[in-house]
Amino acid sequence: MGLTKSEKWKRAFIVLRVMFKVGFFTWGGGWSIVAQLQKEFIEKRDWLSQEELMDIISVGRSLPGIMIINIGVIFGYHIGGVPGVFCSVLGIASPSVIVMCIVTGFYMQVRDNIYVAKALVGVRAAVIPIIGGAALKMRKTAWINYGGYIITAAAFSLCVFTDLHNIIIVIGGAVAGLILKGGKRNGTVS
Amino acid sequence: MALYLEMFIVFVRIGFCSFGGLSMVPVINQEMLSHGWMNLQEVTDIVAIAEMTPGPLGINCATFVGMRTGGIIGALCATLGVLVPSLTLCFLAAVFIEKLKGNPVMANVMYGIRPVCIGLVLYVLYTLSASNFLPEGSFYLVPVVIALIVGLISWKFKLSVPVLILIAAGLGLLLV
Repeated sequence: MGLTKSEKWKRAFIVLRVMFKVGFFTWGGGWSIVAQLQKEFIEKRDWLSQEELMDIISVGRSLPGIMIINIGVIFGYHIGGVPGVFCSVLGIASPSVIVMCIVTGFYMQVRDNIYVAKALVGVRAAVIPIIGGAALKMRKTAWINYGGYIITAAAFSLCVFTDLHNIIIVIGGAVAGLILKGGKRNGTVS
Repeated sequence: MALYLEMFIVFVRIGFCSFGGLSMVPVINQEMLSHGWMNLQEVTDIVAIAEMTPGPLGINCATFVGMRTGGIIGALCATLGVLVPSLTLCFLAAVFIEKLKGNPVMANVMYGIRPVCIGLVLYVLYTLSASNFLPEGSFYLVPVVIALIVGLISWKFKLSVPVLILIAAGLGLLLV
């Protein structure tokens, strides 16, 4: 990308600073990070275009791994090469690591307290509709046609009736995707 | 040392099985239970805690487990593990991004994987419902009521997840 080494590091440090800030204010799913990147790097600094950011997001989303980190890696490379990747990941990941180290210690201390235990009964019950809601959100991209329903039903049945590891089931899904849809476009799929 | 390595490897696996949002919960659940690092209640708690604290679920969970089973070093090993797919696959993707855009192989693979994720999440819902609503085999009404109320509130009023969890904690204090 025609940047010298010191330019890359200079950019990388700005990425680190912005990502660290973003990391502290990203709750849950984290679509807000996209809006932040837009503001900081497209509007304010003009380091990449809207289209480039959209490509980065769509590739990051379709690979396994934590989505925000995926986007961070590709984004960081685009902005500042390897130093950019390093600073971007460090920036997004460290806020959660710091906060969670504190929260974990705290959780161990308070979870047996009678009031906390009562509140946790409510919280654990609420996780069920929360996960259910997340599953509902996935259905639009997952169930494109009837094949999707069948794969979902097959995966669920495998969980209920076998002890297969989730990884095997996921790989099975990938294979099923290639078989059911393989080679339909451009003939580039072998 | 062996524990740290095992934790790293387990979280590499978890990383490779996550495809956005809460789709990593089933894998976390399976790995934590089979290693005896957490019980089902703790997995549920970590999902709630992760939703209440900044940052992605995968990192929050890795730090939580690592910290509990192996202190700060454990937390770092687990967190590095969960970052491996991003640092390898996505790094390659970043280098070859022009070739990957709109690649049909990727689209086809995801066509098969996304429905699988829903199936796995549904199974976790089933296990969680059983452990919350039928603890030790007998029906427990309070969690069912709370789950229904929270489900209804989130459907009617689009509240953010941390707010929903706070409401649920309040309901727990009132009703239990």
